[in-house]
Amino acid sequence: MKIVAVTACPTGIAHTYMAAEQLEKTARKLGHSIKVETQGAMGIENKLTQEEIDSAAVAILAVDIAIEESERFDRVRKIKVPVQSVMKNPEAVFAQI
Amino acid sequence: MALELTFTCPLQNGMHARPASALEEIARGFISDITLLNRRTGRNANARSILSIVGADIRCGDSCVLTVSGTDEELAMAALGDFVRHTLPRRETQISEQKTNVAERFLPRCLRDTGATLRRGVPLVEGIGRGRLVRVSGLRMPQELAKTGVADVAGEQERIRRALAELIEWYGSRAAIAERGVERDVLIAHRSLARDEEFQSCLFNAVQAGRTAAGAIVMAEEQFTGLLALSANPLLRERVIDIRDVCGQLLQRVYGNLPDRILALREDSIVMADWLTPCQILSLDERFLKGLVLSEAGSTSHTIILARSFGIPTLAGVEETLAIPEGDEAVLDGDSGVLVTNLTEQARRYYALEQQRQQGRAAVLSKYANSPAATRDGHRIEIAANAGTVEEVAKAFTAGAEVIGLFRTEMLFLDRSTAPSEVEQYEIYRKVLEAARGRTVIFRTIDIGGDKPLGYLNLLPESNPFLGCRGIRIYPEFEVLIRNQLRALLRASAHGPMKIMFPMIATVDEARWINRLVTEERKRCSDEGKCFDAKLSLGAMIEVPSAAFVLKELCAEFDFFSIGSNDLLQYTMAADRTNSRVATLYDPCHPAFLRLIRQIVATVRRAGKWIGLCGEMGADERLLPLWVGMGFYEISATAPAIARMKAAVAQLNYSDCSRLCDKAVRCADSDALKSVLGRHLERRGLPVIAPELVATDFDASNKEEAIKRAVDQLYVHGRCNQPRLLEDDVWKRESHYTTGFGNGFALPHCRTNHVTASSIVVLKLRSPVPWDAADNVPVKVVILLAIREGGSMNEHMKMISQLARQLMHEPFRDSLEREQNPEALCRLLMEVSE
Repeated sequence: MKIVAVTACPTGIAHTYMAAEQLEKTARKLGHSIKVETQGAMGIENKLTQEEIDSAAVAILAVDIAIEESERFDRVRKIKVPVQSVMKNPEAVFAQI
Repeated sequence: MALELTFTCPLQNGMHARPASALEEIARGFISDITLLNRRTGRNANARSILSIVGADIRCGDSCVLTVSGTDEELAMAALGDFVRHTLPRRETQISEQKTNVAERFLPRCLRDTGATLRRGVPLVEGIGRGRLVRVSGLRMPQELAKTGVADVAGEQERIRRALAELIEWYGSRAAIAERGVERDVLIAHRSLARDEEFQSCLFNAVQAGRTAAGAIVMAEEQFTGLLALSANPLLRERVIDIRDVCGQLLQRVYGNLPDRILALREDSIVMADWLTPCQILSLDERFLKGLVLSEAGSTSHTIILARSFGIPTLAGVEETLAIPEGDEAVLDGDSGVLVTNLTEQARRYYALEQQRQQGRAAVLSKYANSPAATRDGHRIEIAANAGTVEEVAKAFTAGAEVIGLFRTEMLFLDRSTAPSEVEQYEIYRKVLEAARGRTVIFRTIDIGGDKPLGYLNLLPESNPFLGCRGIRIYPEFEVLIRNQLRALLRASAHGPMKIMFPMIATVDEARWINRLVTEERKRCSDEGKCFDAKLSLGAMIEVPSAAFVLKELCAEFDFFSIGSNDLLQYTMAADRTNSRVATLYDPCHPAFLRLIRQIVATVRRAGKWIGLCGEMGADERLLPLWVGMGFYEISATAPAIARMKAAVAQLNYSDCSRLCDKAVRCADSDALKSVLGRHLERRGLPVIAPELVATDFDASNKEEAIKRAVDQLYVHGRCNQPRLLEDDVWKRESHYTTGFGNGFALPHCRTNHVTASSIVVLKLRSPVPWDAADNVPVKVVILLAIREGGSMNEHMKMISQLARQLMHEPFRDSLEREQNPEALCRLLMEVSE
């Protein structure tokens, strides 16, 4: 399945990147293709284009704070979870797809 | 015919003790009667009595009249007019608002959870002390002495007169041997209270009216403390304790040995009292005095000023001190503002960690203190000390000074009735050189006038003393005095390496004149067969801007120079440094000032001569990169700053500093310059991780201790000055959700203003501690990320984000867990971004 995701945590220093890595690692394991955008201390990285979002089956928003340019995700199915749940049990997050 | 002068009090804090004592000082110099009337209160004060002046309750805006009558009234009026117009407006003192809201102060979580009893107070002196609690009662007038019923009035008055004379003498001799300047100031202040005309006449009048000496002293104490206690001015209220002290001392002198009111301390002690007088503090054994808990104490009272200079942690306003049992072991924590009793195991561990933190920092600083200062790229700059006494010289070398960059000889001339003789000076200079043990001392010849008057020279009052006769400008008038000093210095030069420096050189004529004097005195010394160093270097202070424009010519006259930064800034900007209204001009970051300094340093270096910097701004770490970059050979500062400065130099890079100077002098204003300096601090390229930030085998009993220990590592290595506030930032992030991300790893982190550079600390624990981790596995490896807020965030974030990602992978975690060598651990962390 083609998945897009955004991660953003309160300080933008650690969990944004740890969660991104967790999502990528788990997607590989489960056989999905994924692109994860991070919104952390360095701003938006690995930015998702509107095209990528529109062509994805689902968007995982693992965010604890309001994200930038959230209107990009208006038309796609979204799963919104706290960052912590990606850290605790990433496979359970993918099970919601 | 009496003369009158009307003026309006310009002082925000009114006529408090210090301006009153300045007025009294002037009034004492004349025989005319001088009174000061406050038209608002109708009180008429004797200008020769501080207590009387203060009692007139003169507030800001009050209209006052000075009346002078007597044989020298015209001279007196001239001096008083000068005082009112010029000195008085500059006597403003800023009263720092004391934080009284004790509940608002932050308590470290690690301490809060120890289970010990914590009593909050207002920390007046920082530091942590530990000892048994001892209660001391403040000095009280004994009840048993008869207050009235005197048969022989004249005899009783004589007893008081003798006691006063003895006491005044005692204050003087105690002051002369006082090791610390503050101690001397307090004793001198008490001496002036003891010889206050109003105070004395209050005593004699009370005896005349039938009171005993004790009765008179109690009455005087009540009258004057009552007067001050009513004052709206905290500076005056805090003088109450000085009056109590003087009265207590006087009573002691009249009646001999009264029962001892102070305990002899025999072990480490924390002393609790409602209040203590300055002399009570001085009488306690400094070795055993580890803390003070006072109910009443103002932050500017002499008691607290003394406690601060002795470094005794002090709390005020602690509640329910009477409920605290004596004899218990306690910790007085002046950093967090608590008195800790019922010490639990956790509390002991907390303070053991605090001790490790302080010893760790001291060890790091002493490593720097004991080696010559150098930048990372090996550029040497001497860090020297300013001193004024033999004791200060010895202490400066212990603190890590490489040489003495400024020895202020005027200290020998102050607080005495005549100038010291050539022999007396020679002996002291010789002792200074002996204390220096082969390291160079730069002696500055007597620098008085301006803000440093000297009674026995009878310098004429000037309408603008800072632009008048000070430094070398008084020498021609007192040629004998300066020739004596030159001879004493020349003779001392036989005992160790030294240089002589002259203050306030503004013109080439002055340079030639003083050099001629030195040549003549040299000749006289050799004619008399006295030994001296024939190659002795002579130098000039550069503190007057004019000197900078004849510097090439001055280089022909002198071997070396030292910039007196405070005066040079004040004269360059035409801004009095004590006047807060022009404080924005008295700012070393003005490009005009820095361009001038740079030009001076470059000119001196081109001429092949030597140049140093002495003055307060030498110790300012923010400016240090500029001084290094400009090419000073030496910076001289106060002794306590030396280790810190050497550590700061070691973090600099000379070639970066030179480039910084190029950029700084091109700035148009001080704001631009400050932001250039700020960016330099960010980019000075301190690595985000370094071997000294790795600690292994730490025995933590819980998460709180582990976080505290990781934060303290940054403090120990000079990357954080407020460890408890950084710790709080870490806990604020921890409150969102746990940073224990599983597999025995935790990554506590924060963005913070409390680090000087973004840093990573690695802490490996001997045994795992619970961290509420995602997988409930206790944590063995703690990685703390402290990212500097507002800095150039991207610089280290790339590496840190890569590190965070890598930690999700088991092989990386395994290698971190296995590796015990700090250097290898650093390499592992650095490699993630490659």
